[in-house]
Amino acid sequence: MRTLTRLLPKLAVGLVMIWAVATFTFFLVHALPGSPGDAAYENYILSGMSPEQAQAKVSSIYGFTSHDPLLVQYRGYLWRLLHGDLGQSISYSGVPVTHVLRAAAPWTIFPALAGLVIAFLVGTSFGAVAAVKRSSRWGGLLSMSGSFFAGIPVFVLALVLAFLFHTEWNLLPYGDTSDVTLTPGFNGPYVVSVVQHAILPVATYALLGYGAWLLTMKSSVISVLGDDFILAAELRGLRPRTRMRYVSRNAILPMFTVFALSIGYLLGGSVLVENVFDYPGLGNVLFQAIGARDYPLMSGAFLLITVAIVLANIVADLLYTVIDPRVRR
Amino acid sequence: MTDTAPQAAAAGAFAAPLASIASAAGSAASAASAASATPETEVLVRDLTVCFRTDRGEELPAVAHADLTLQAGLITGLVGESGSGKSTLALTLLGAVPSPGRITSGSVQLTGIGDVTRLKGAALRQVRGGKVGYVFQASQNSLNPLKTVGKQLLDLGRAHDVEYLPGLVRRARELCELMGMDGKRVLDSYQHELSGGMRQRVGIVFALVLNARVLVLDEPTTALDMLSQAAVLKIIGQVHKEIGLTTLIVTHDMGVVSELADRLAVMYGGRIVEDGPAEQLLRRPSHPYTRALINATARVTGDISRARALPGRPPDLASIPRQGCVFRQRCAFVMDQCATEEPPLDAWGGDIDNAGGSGRRRACHATPEAVIGA
Ligand SMILES: Nc1ncnc2c1ncn2[C@@H]1O[C@H](COP(=O)(O)OP(=O)(O)OP(=O)(O)O)[C@@H](O)[C@H]1O
Ligand code: SF4
Ligand SMILES: [Mg+2]
Repeated sequence: MRTLTRLLPKLAVGLVMIWAVATFTFFLVHALPGSPGDAAYENYILSGMSPEQAQAKVSSIYGFTSHDPLLVQYRGYLWRLLHGDLGQSISYSGVPVTHVLRAAAPWTIFPALAGLVIAFLVGTSFGAVAAVKRSSRWGGLLSMSGSFFAGIPVFVLALVLAFLFHTEWNLLPYGDTSDVTLTPGFNGPYVVSVVQHAILPVATYALLGYGAWLLTMKSSVISVLGDDFILAAELRGLRPRTRMRYVSRNAILPMFTVFALSIGYLLGGSVLVENVFDYPGLGNVLFQAIGARDYPLMSGAFLLITVAIVLANIVADLLYTVIDPRVRR
Repeated sequence: MTDTAPQAAAAGAFAAPLASIASAAGSAASAASAASATPETEVLVRDLTVCFRTDRGEELPAVAHADLTLQAGLITGLVGESGSGKSTLALTLLGAVPSPGRITSGSVQLTGIGDVTRLKGAALRQVRGGKVGYVFQASQNSLNPLKTVGKQLLDLGRAHDVEYLPGLVRRARELCELMGMDGKRVLDSYQHELSGGMRQRVGIVFALVLNARVLVLDEPTTALDMLSQAAVLKIIGQVHKEIGLTTLIVTHDMGVVSELADRLAVMYGGRIVEDGPAEQLLRRPSHPYTRALINATARVTGDISRARALPGRPPDLASIPRQGCVFRQRCAFVMDQCATEEPPLDAWGGDIDNAGGSGRRRACHATPEAVIGA
């Protein structure tokens, strides 16, 4: 019950955030002079269509009728949005945006999640070690590796990995999600190829998150190690193992906020990662949509990313609630 | 680890809530009553020096050549201003030194165990909590916020190889009741669900639940409001007597120990400057620092208008004089000798009306008569 009352405001904020992004992209597309809808309409007129035809075509692509008053258009847009209709893509000539996104989403979600999980497990473990052994050489080296990967720009990391593992050592393939000569399906060679093609993007996501997890976990562990109750546990003669368990559980708590942040970070990073590896996920779709000024697709992708971040926040909050009795009550 | 809870169960948990505590403490209690005839020592601190390395790389003593004896069955108060080294000294009873400190000389002998400062690993862990119960200066936050009190009690039991955990839980509940708390409720609570006074008492439960003979309380009342202070002090006195403990109360507040303690030791700048029976020491302090400290405490003098604050500030590690008497910068009795010679902590026959065998010691160049008579 408490969980629910705690979660409802979060949910409300999330919905408002989604609505705000939807509204923002709508007005970006429509309110600006020389909006893409108007431009397309004029193009159709110039190519000899009747105004009605041009109007119908524009409205079918952009999901609104561009000569209605703005507010009416906006209402229609929201209405269709509620029904899961994001309009039609321009660059994919009339394919519904939802289809484009649905095809691309798994190729971002699964590699990004895999990278996130790996980064979380390795980063927090190493962060804890770096904190406990902070005065030794190993601790110092671990911290340095964290700072290194936290500071390196995404596309540089992706390019270096692509260069080393593909161009230089020829260990891993890249480009697309699998070898295009194979037939997709649940057959051995295809699955192997998919996994091989995913390794570089996943590794990039993992290394991208690793540094941040390591550094935040390290500082969190150091701060918990300085807490009174850890000293008390030692002076009550508790086993080192028990003490370490106390430390790690308390230190992991602030990580859940990082978790929500890092989802947004990863999705943003996917634009560059997928571009480098020529991987047809959401990031690539967004990148191409921007290049082609495909506004319906763009706003659809933005919306999807917003929803993902809102969901991640709620999941993080739930996890927090499960582990922290002070919040749960 | 002896566990006497099954006996208590047989006696009926509520008919005789203190049965197991009393029986567990039986031997200690008889030792205490014997103590009045021939004082037995429970803890012997000898020539103890604990140093901290400063930023400039010097090793400075927070406790210097301290001698302190805790007699079995008595409450000893360790008093001094902030930074005088009380906590550092008290922690050595657990064989602990806050990093980056280290013990550079001396020993801490516990009866039946030996020198704790030489213990390591599992043997040291068994002493901590098992033989010496410590209630922390920050015992408001001495529990893991993510686990219930009960679960942490089980962790404590496992760490000390308690074979019969239900017995431990029963004993913890009894201790809770003894201190006026609902045992079941407390064990089911998280730290944040307990009030300050309750946390303090839970700290005492944790210190005693493994049948420790020695109880150390570091500033047991500092974080509490006046009402809870009085309650906690009363409880400490009760528990001490009921279980027959040897108790050390560390505090900067003379008022806290003036009613409770049998003996007092006064610390300044890492040195014990005076000790002896509490009543004598309070009535006729023979060291200028003790005298000033008492005069500064309205609760002891009983008169706020006569309470005079100590002049100057207590020194920190770097500003403790390296030569002569550590108190000389603030002393009203200072003389030439004080600047060059550190006064030794010598036995002193005691007050005129209590001459002989009083067990008083003082470290001062001025004569006791001069200080007492002033
Ligand atoms: N971990 C540490 N590192 C460096 N110096 C320390 C450390 N712990 C204590 N000291 C120093 O040792 C001296 C004695 O400290 P201690 O905590 O024993 O004093 P105290 O009498 O308990 O005072 P308080 O009433 O403030 O608790 C102080 O000057 C303090 O600065
Ligand atoms: S030795 Fe000297 S300075 Fe120190 S307390 Fe005694 S009189 Fe004062
Ligand atoms: Mg202290």
